Amino acid sequence: MLAKKWSLTLTLVCVLVLAVSVAAGAKSAIFWTAPNPSQEVFWHEMAERFMEENPEYQIQVLPMAEAPSSEATILTAIAGGTAPAASENIFIGFGAELWESDALVPLDTLPGWDELIAARNMEEAIKSWAFPDGHYYILPIYSNPILYGWRIDILEELGVDSIPETYEEIMEVAKLAQEEDLFLMVRPALVKPNWWERWFDFFTLYYAISGDVPFITGNEITADEEAVLEVFQFYYDLAKEKYILTQEIPDAFPTGMAIWSELGPWVFPGWQEQYPEMVHGETFKLTMPPIPENRKGEATGNTFADAKGLVLYAQASKEAQEAVWEFIRWVFSKPEHDLLWMETTSLPPVRDDLAENPVFADYLAQAPALVPYAESLASAVPPFTHSQFADIQTALGEEGLIPVVRLQKTPEQAWEDAKAAINQILNR
Amino acid sequence: MLRRIKGEALTGWLFVIPYLAYTIVFFVLPFVWGLLLIFSEWNLISPVREFVGLGNLIEALQSRRVHAAAVTPFKIMAIFLPAVLIMSLGIAVLINSFKKRQGLLAVAFFLPYLASGVSMSLVVKGVVSYTSPVNKVISNIIGYVPDWLGTPSLAILVIALMIAWRFSGYYALIFLSGLQSIPSELYEAAQIDGAGRIKSFFKITLPQLYPALYSVMILAVGLMFGVFTEPYMLTGGGPNLATHTWYLEIYYQAFSTLRAGYASSIALYNAVAVFIVVGIVRRIMQAWGRAHGWED
Repeated sequence: MLAKKWSLTLTLVCVLVLAVSVAAGAKSAIFWTAPNPSQEVFWHEMAERFMEENPEYQIQVLPMAEAPSSEATILTAIAGGTAPAASENIFIGFGAELWESDALVPLDTLPGWDELIAARNMEEAIKSWAFPDGHYYILPIYSNPILYGWRIDILEELGVDSIPETYEEIMEVAKLAQEEDLFLMVRPALVKPNWWERWFDFFTLYYAISGDVPFITGNEITADEEAVLEVFQFYYDLAKEKYILTQEIPDAFPTGMAIWSELGPWVFPGWQEQYPEMVHGETFKLTMPPIPENRKGEATGNTFADAKGLVLYAQASKEAQEAVWEFIRWVFSKPEHDLLWMETTSLPPVRDDLAENPVFADYLAQAPALVPYAESLASAVPPFTHSQFADIQTALGEEGLIPVVRLQKTPEQAWEDAKAAINQILNR
Repeated sequence: MLRRIKGEALTGWLFVIPYLAYTIVFFVLPFVWGLLLIFSEWNLISPVREFVGLGNLIEALQSRRVHAAAVTPFKIMAIFLPAVLIMSLGIAVLINSFKKRQGLLAVAFFLPYLASGVSMSLVVKGVVSYTSPVNKVISNIIGYVPDWLGTPSLAILVIALMIAWRFSGYYALIFLSGLQSIPSELYEAAQIDGAGRIKSFFKITLPQLYPALYSVMILAVGLMFGVFTEPYMLTGGGPNLATHTWYLEIYYQAFSTLRAGYASSIALYNAVAVFIVVGIVRRIMQAWGRAHGWED
C-alpha cells in the first residue's frame, strides 16, 4: 500500500516536472528588473497579470545583482552565457557598449514595434534614442528630466519676488543669500570625479543652452563650445564669489541651508516622510535650468534626462526573445500600466502625452511636484551615445569642471585640457 | 607496508583535494585568465578581441591615474601605520591590564572591524560635514570650517584615521595574545634592576611582541594596497586624485570603462607593488627581530 502511494506521488511529480518543462520550453523567458524594490514589485505584478491573460507564457521576473554594479552583472552574465531574454535599467551609454559588442536585438525589426510606439504615444520621445546605425535597441521606460528647485519661501524673505531664470539673476540672488549666511547651492559632488555626476551638474546646464547638439558624434567632439564655456564660466563665477559650497551638508536644500538645487523626482517620496513642509508651490518651486542673459530667446531650454529603458539580448533563444517581446508589448500597450508604474516607482514614464492624458490626471493632481517633470519630458535630452562614456565624462570632470570650480584653471584653459583628454580617449 | 603507505597517501589526498580544487577554481584559473587578458583590449563580451601585446602594460605605466594610485598607499601608510600601531597597542595594553572581562572588552574594540566599510563611511561623512558639531568647535577656534574631504592632505588624514579606527581592535587582539605570552618573570627581574614602566615597555614588551608586531606590520602594509570602500564612499578618489587607490582604478577600468584587459594589467602592477613592499617590510622587521635576539 505504502509502495503504491509512493509510486503514485513519484508519477505525479514527474508529470508536474514534465508539464513545467514543456511549458518552459514552449514560451518562457527570464526578465531582469533593476535592483530596486519598487521596480521589482511593478514587474512582478505585470508578469502575473500577463500570465493570467496568457497562460501559455512563463515570464520569470528576477532582480539583477547590484554588486559590483548592474552593468558588471549584465556583462558577466553575457560573458558566461547566462544572460536573460531581456532586462531593464539600461541607459543609452551602456547600451552603446552592448550594441558595439553585438549583444542587443534591434527592437524596431521585431513585429509590432511601430504599433507599440504608437500605443504608448512616444513617437517624439523615441527619436533621441536612435543608435548610430538608425535602429532602436533600447525601449525607454522612464525619464527623469533634471529640474532645479528654488526655495521660494526663502527667496521671499530675501525680498526676491520672481524666480531667477538667467545666470546674471542667479548671481544677484546668491549675493543676497550669502549676506544671510546661506549658500546658493551645496553640492559636494561638484568636485568629485565620478563620471555620472557630470550628468547633473554639467549636462543639465549645457543642454539648456545648446539644445540637443550632440556632445560627441562618432569619434569626434561636436559640442557647442560656446555653451560649454558659458557653463564653465558660470561655475567659475559662483565659486569665486563663494556662493556654492562643495562640502557636505546633509539635506541642505530641504533644511534651507541652500536655496537652489538640481532635483530629480526620486527625492519627493523621501521628503514626504522626512520634510512634509516641503510642498511644491509653497516652500519650493521647480524650474528648467537657467541660461545666460544673452541667450534669452535663442536658447532651446532643454535639460538632461536621467533615462533608462529595456533591451533584448541577442544571446537569448529566439523562443525566449519572442516570449519576452510579447510580454513587453502587452505591458506598454495600456496607459494604465504606465500609471501603475508611476504609482509604484514615482518615476515618470516616457510618453509624449504624460501631462495631457486623462489617465494620469488624478495621480498628477495628488503629486503636483511631478507635473513639471511630466511637462518637460519632451525637452529632456538623454545621455550622449558613446561606448567610452565613462572615460569621456571622467575627463570632462577631472580636466574641465572640477579645476574650474576649484579656481585652478580658467574656463578656457579647462575646456582646452578637457578637449585634449577627451580626444585622446576617442583616438585610443 | 606499501599498501599502508598508499592508503595513507590516499587519505592525505582526500583531505587535500577540496582545498586544491578550491585553489584551482578560484585562484589559479582566474589568475591565468587575468594574465591572458592583459594582452587584449576586450570588454568580456565583444566578438572582437583585439590583441594589443604589451600595450595595456605600457599604457598603465604612462597613466597619471595609475601613478596617483601607486603613490596613495604610501601617503595613507605614513599616517595609518603609526596611528594603528599606537591605537592597537594601547588597546591591547589596556585590555591586558584588566583582570576580569577581558573578552568583553576585546569584543567591544573589535566591533568596528565587523562593521561594514559603507556604514562607517557614512558615519565619518556625518562627522566631517560642514555643520557637524566637530566642525562647529573647530570653526570657533580657527575661524573657518576645514574642507576635510576637499583638501588633499586632510582627505588622506581622514581616510587613514578611519581605516586605523576600523583595524585597531583587530590588531589589538594579535597584540593581546602576544602580551599574554610574555613571561612575568622578565618584568619582575627588570623591576628588581630598577627599570621603570616606560623602560620595561621599550626593552621588554616591544621586543617580546616581535612575532605579533611582524604579523601586524605585514597585514597593515598589505592592507594599504587594497583600500577601496573608504575613498569610494568619501572622496571618489579626489581631490585631484589625491586619494585615488589601486582598487579604485581597477574597479573603474573594469566596471566603468569596461576595459577588462587594461584593468588586469593594473591589477598585475598592484600585485607586484604589494610583493615588493611587503618583501621590504619583511626584511626590515626580520633585521629588527634579529637585533632583539629573535631568529628568522
